[in-house]
Amino acid sequence: MHRRSILALSAAALATPRLARAAGFPDGPITLIVAWPAGGGSDVSMRLVAEALSRRLSVPVLVENRPGAAGTIGHRAIATARPDGQTIGMFSQDAITAQYGNANAPALSEFEPLGFFGEEPGSLQVHPGTGITTLADYIARAKAAPGKLRNGGNPAPGASFLYMAYYERRLDIHVTKVAYAGYAPTVTALLSGEIDSASVPVPDVIEHHNAGRLRLLAVSGTDRHFMAPDVPTFRELGHDVVIGGWRSIAAPVGIPPDRLAVLRDSLLAVFKDSDFQARARHAGFAVTPGDHTRTAAAWAESDTSIYPIMDELGLVKARRKQGT
Amino acid sequence: MHDLISNLAMGFGVALSLQNIGLCFIGCVLGTAIGVLPGIGPLPTVAMLLPFTFALDPTGALIMLAGVFYGAQYGGSTTAILARLPGETSSVVTCLDGYAMALKGQAGTALAIAAIGSVVAGMATTLLIAAAGPPLADVALLFQSADYVSVMLLGLVSAVVMAHGSVLKALLMILFGLLLGTVGTDVASGDYRLTMGLDMLADGLGFVPISMGLFGLAEIMVNLESMAGRTAIAKKVGSLWPSRAVLWQAFPAMVRGTVIGAAFGILPGGGPTIAAFSAYSVEKKVARDPSRFGQGAVEGVAAPEAANNAATQSCFIPMLCLGIPPNALMALMVGAMMVHGIQPGPSIITKQPELFWGMIASMAVGNVILVILNLPLIGIWVKLLQVPYAFLFPAIIVFCAVGTYTVDSSTGDVVLMAIFGVLGYVFRKLDCEPAPLMLGLVLGPLLEENFRRAMVLSDGDAMVFLHRPISLAFLVAAALLLAAVLLPSIRRGRQEAFRE
Repeated sequence: MHRRSILALSAAALATPRLARAAGFPDGPITLIVAWPAGGGSDVSMRLVAEALSRRLSVPVLVENRPGAAGTIGHRAIATARPDGQTIGMFSQDAITAQYGNANAPALSEFEPLGFFGEEPGSLQVHPGTGITTLADYIARAKAAPGKLRNGGNPAPGASFLYMAYYERRLDIHVTKVAYAGYAPTVTALLSGEIDSASVPVPDVIEHHNAGRLRLLAVSGTDRHFMAPDVPTFRELGHDVVIGGWRSIAAPVGIPPDRLAVLRDSLLAVFKDSDFQARARHAGFAVTPGDHTRTAAAWAESDTSIYPIMDELGLVKARRKQGT
Repeated sequence: MHDLISNLAMGFGVALSLQNIGLCFIGCVLGTAIGVLPGIGPLPTVAMLLPFTFALDPTGALIMLAGVFYGAQYGGSTTAILARLPGETSSVVTCLDGYAMALKGQAGTALAIAAIGSVVAGMATTLLIAAAGPPLADVALLFQSADYVSVMLLGLVSAVVMAHGSVLKALLMILFGLLLGTVGTDVASGDYRLTMGLDMLADGLGFVPISMGLFGLAEIMVNLESMAGRTAIAKKVGSLWPSRAVLWQAFPAMVRGTVIGAAFGILPGGGPTIAAFSAYSVEKKVARDPSRFGQGAVEGVAAPEAANNAATQSCFIPMLCLGIPPNALMALMVGAMMVHGIQPGPSIITKQPELFWGMIASMAVGNVILVILNLPLIGIWVKLLQVPYAFLFPAIIVFCAVGTYTVDSSTGDVVLMAIFGVLGYVFRKLDCEPAPLMLGLVLGPLLEENFRRAMVLSDGDAMVFLHRPISLAFLVAAALLLAAVLLPSIRRGRQEAFRE
């Protein structure tokens, strides 16, 4: 690194905290709760956020993994933390589904939106042994013999389960959904040919797609995935199918407004930082920075799109919405 | 062959750089330390270290994290032998004969055999990964759900064979373990079963709190009861160096343990714990006089210790060669690679040869470091024996509580450990062995998950278990083993053997 850029960097590091700092906040380490185990995509992305946020606020930001009960334990740890701004957490669409599946899970209203990290669209991939090469082939095969194609994913109502359920609804097909405990065993099963297709996100399968061991058919994002520029979106292929996961940062409700502003501004600045974006992209994450309004919108949007699917599949066991 | 040597030479070039030797050393020291401390396992340690590796280059980072993992297997046997307290879950079986040896005044021999078994297995597996890693990785893809069901059935059957004492009691303990394993989230429907509305039970009963309770706390309680007479930890250590005869006796067991361990490490869901259990039951099967097991048989230390070390290293094969993490710790390694922008998958070997071969070479370096670190240190561990119980027991309980808490930051798990401590004490009084229960608890959820998946995939046709050759082979093996235990004549002989 050139001496001048080091100087510039340290000057920036000195200047930003002063601008962003409210009276005496943050006055100690900030805890960033991740409701998923260490090593997964959520953990990796949040450790990148923690590092960048720590540099910006000049206090340590510690990632605390609180896995269990499909995220419920970690989500509740966020919702019930003391609202002083020292505890924040990752909030993904799993928190939206959990509130309908588990009466113990905190409701959406118990969280304060802070910032939007990015999206991870769902995708559909097949084992090459099936002979399926395009989405049209897949749909034709599924229609010819309903329930014959086997698709692997999370147990209901996990993300990749919901993606497939959504594809089935929108494409008017029916496949047999087989449950695996996570993306790694799902991909293993697909590589071994135990299942015909899977609906896990692009970063988990891209290397196998490039090596020809499985084939990505389509991505259910609004745009193509940056890691798989050769794979079309469902929309390009004439099907209006957009579904995926996203990651945002949330806090418990009741944080004093000046502290809330510090957290929101700093997070947005971190997400917009080109150096941070480059690091995240390097690790396989597309960052699409958004403020707290964008975050709240994403929450509401998922809430309205996921609820009917869960309801139809009999997965709504708590907080049934009126009039549905 | 030429390729292998030049590749390994390149690997050693990477692994022997000053920085990487240093990182390997740090990893091994940390690993040994957490291995010795009961409950504090490699998983939380690697998770905590992850942020510190951001500043390192990916090869150095992975070398250090790997050192923590296999270093823990070295350290884990120490407390198992000295205090019947498994430092790692994979050292549970080492408790059986290692502790018996310690009681007989052969603690030094047991510790040395464990270290030698670990290094033999470590070196052999390093060579195996280098030579056969890339082609072997594909073996994992031959196994499907139905095959796993049969493998696990074989595992449960061998647990009956492994237990000493009554076959009925062993069976009941396995069934109890399977029952405990049904607590948690239904993998197919996502429903909560037997969780009593507690979120901490939603992912099932934790392996760590239960093994800490059943083995660690129960042992302390039993010892407190007989405080006046028997000593908890053998005061007499005996010679640290095994005689040639003992080595000769242990060596074939180390070789068998290495083979079994290496095989189990490659299979998804395998890993050091199941490998150690299996190696122990195989030793008991092939032994001319099985009654020695549980009474301080040196093979009962050598085989599982070789197996857990071999499995620890061979589970890197599917992770490095296929990008498939066979267990939670390898998933963490995949995460570490993603942070550094390396997409795990089959292309690592060709795209990142210095990472692949450097890591393999670092394992050989690490095993040498661990021997240098552990053999002189055995003297220090032996010093542990002189600590008065008034200090040692409370310290062990604190370590157990801290270790259990750190896994999921859950106070509920500490309570669970206490409950199973009392239960373990009751089991000891009833002469019921806790090891088969642990195996039932570990294999039960996997068995159910794979069984239900196999049935979904076969459209409900149970014949699938007989149609698949891999599955059929394991089922036949399980049936033969079961017949051997249940046939009246053999059973009588077995019970006579155990009566001594």
